[in-house]
Amino acid sequence: MRNLIAKLALTAAVLGSGLGAAAADTANIWVRADGSNFMPRIVDAYNKAHKDQIKLDIIPNAEIIPKYGAAAAGGTAPDALSLDLIYTPSFAASGQLEDITDWAKSLPYFASLSPAHVKTGTYKDHIYGLPFSADASVLIWNKKLFKQAGLDPEKGPTNWAEIAADAEKVNALGGNIKGFYFSGNCGGCNIFTFTPLIWASGGDILSADGSKATLDSPQLRGAIDLYRSMVKKDLVPAGAQTDTGANFFAAFAAGNIGISPSGAFAIGALNTQYPNIDYGVTFLPGKDGGWSSFAGGDNFVVTKGTKKLAVVKEFLDFAYSLEGQTILAKYGSLPVRGDIAKDALKDLDPRYQIAAEAMAKGKTPYSVVFNDLINSANGPWTQMINEVFFGDDVDGAIANAQETMQSIIDQAPQK
Amino acid sequence: MPRIALRNSVGNPGEGVLGQRPNSIGHPAMTTIATTTAPPRARRLVGAGRRQWIGLLYVAPAVALVIVFFVIPLGMTAWMSLHNWPLMGEHFYIGFDNYVAILRDTRFWNALKFTGYYTVIVTIAIFAVAFPLAIFIEKPRPLTNLYRTFFFMPAVVGFASASLLWSWLLNVDSGLFSPAAYELGLIDKKFNLLATFQPAFWSIIAMVVWKVAGFTMIILMTGLQSIPQDLQEAAVIDGAGPLARFRAITLPLMRRTLALALILSVAGSILAFDQFYIILRGGPRNQTLTAVYWIFNQSFVSFKLGYGAALSMVLLVILVALSLVQLWLLRKPEGVD
Repeated sequence: MRNLIAKLALTAAVLGSGLGAAAADTANIWVRADGSNFMPRIVDAYNKAHKDQIKLDIIPNAEIIPKYGAAAAGGTAPDALSLDLIYTPSFAASGQLEDITDWAKSLPYFASLSPAHVKTGTYKDHIYGLPFSADASVLIWNKKLFKQAGLDPEKGPTNWAEIAADAEKVNALGGNIKGFYFSGNCGGCNIFTFTPLIWASGGDILSADGSKATLDSPQLRGAIDLYRSMVKKDLVPAGAQTDTGANFFAAFAAGNIGISPSGAFAIGALNTQYPNIDYGVTFLPGKDGGWSSFAGGDNFVVTKGTKKLAVVKEFLDFAYSLEGQTILAKYGSLPVRGDIAKDALKDLDPRYQIAAEAMAKGKTPYSVVFNDLINSANGPWTQMINEVFFGDDVDGAIANAQETMQSIIDQAPQK
Repeated sequence: MPRIALRNSVGNPGEGVLGQRPNSIGHPAMTTIATTTAPPRARRLVGAGRRQWIGLLYVAPAVALVIVFFVIPLGMTAWMSLHNWPLMGEHFYIGFDNYVAILRDTRFWNALKFTGYYTVIVTIAIFAVAFPLAIFIEKPRPLTNLYRTFFFMPAVVGFASASLLWSWLLNVDSGLFSPAAYELGLIDKKFNLLATFQPAFWSIIAMVVWKVAGFTMIILMTGLQSIPQDLQEAAVIDGAGPLARFRAITLPLMRRTLALALILSVAGSILAFDQFYIILRGGPRNQTLTAVYWIFNQSFVSFKLGYGAALSMVLLVILVALSLVQLWLLRKPEGVD
């Protein structure tokens, strides 16, 4: 509802300002609901300062892909789209996107754009997507509960053993306080927060080009054992086993969870919606130290054949300016330009700095069938994580997922 | 020979009553207009040829609706099923490749197997609850209307809303069943009903029975009420017990009502989707993926619209075949009417 009101207000604003500049071009842009906080702000700022205008539509997360597909088939697709970056390869592969290689490489700051975004935005050596908004996975802990449990509230866990030990101490406070939380039936949540544990320890679940599933590794096994041991010791609420992501953030925000893997978005959300929670932000560690992160967010892609390319480029230029990057950072996205990230974040919550660093060195798996492999609630990854965290047959579940994932990769359209 | 006498006396008057029932339930608009109103008026105006033409005019709106919202989409689905039709990008003709792929799609056949299992269990469960309820509320007695309303109420809730409600009721941390049992001291540790197959499956069955039994009850009740009272009385006088009366009078005379309720229940269950999507997401561990759920996944998660269309056609054929079999099983007995 709030989105709808924001959208209506925005449309009204766009219409109003459009009247004054009759010759101006208007480009239509879509964003998923995750961007409903920062996107209207930056579009507003752009529209106030420019003759050409942007008309923004906010689409529910789950509907934006089918809706865009239907609109593209009917010739009514928006001029550009802020697209979950993991979908860029499959969109580019389907021939739906404008090749923006030359323009992208002409940007003076091209080299300092978020590498994870540029990598997923590149298909067969051509660039189809450029970074727009960013979110990186981090580990958050509840300082109040750490203090009550006799732990140093200013020091988050730095390796797996510390995660388990700290969670156990917090859990010992008893009552409805639990040590650790993760969404045990949510593929998207766990690719975001669980695989960094594996990456930080030197393993991976897909080969670099996405052509091989590599689940059978000691690092994956070790990370599974970490979660299993915490489940076994009852450090995790029973609801985690069936949480499809609805409580991914809400569980920690309720204030009775010690440690939870989460994302940079949680900083903005906790600060504005749950100001009473005193929390710390640290990196997702490897088995014996080190760290990694999933660099997520949205790529900005242009619909093939749009006539509003000039407006779209002008808007993206604005978003990449210091003013644009600051607006994004203030309302919940990390900066995507590494060279001015520090400036854009300098007046904001210092905990953002950790997330920005995680973003800069974060990883993003690359696959044209990411949705089928990972995000689908019925895909092999989601099924495997649920089985290995809570089931009895860990080896069988891994072997089964390995086989299913490889067959999905092999059956993907090769164009 | 009380029993033979009983059977003979049952046949004709019963069928007479039943004979009207499908008309009043099935297609009220079409049958009444076409058979009752149209002919006399047409006869006054013109000859037999134009009479039919006018009849056609009367059913035209209904026919137009059926064509626009059923026949054309069905044709398009069949057409799409012969293509490689991704959600985005170009589509091209591939003949029957999608259908060949279905033959090898073990996950679809597993989903279909589960759907069959679910249909059998839930239909039995619905009838086991709805039939006694129908018998209970059929006769006027104090508070009958109140009971009818109570039992029927869940039927007016949409499946999606009902699923959301139960999704909360079944939640282990913040729901009703598990926390209530824990607080009352019935269990030592909260039990996550949705974490393993058996409790999750039976929770869904309970939810569907709660939701649908009231509707089936009303259908069965109308069937019960259409049985003439004098037949039952005659049987009582002939010395038939309650069980014999149920078997020899109630059941045969409710044949058509049962067919309707059964087909509605079976068709509804084979198309089950909402409750498994909203409450279980096909889990635990993909064990509750139904056929429609798999079609949805193929079409809108994997973006293979053509393949989804082919799966839909297969499901349609299965559903039509099953309905025909049920109609045949519950057809009018030989020698009657």
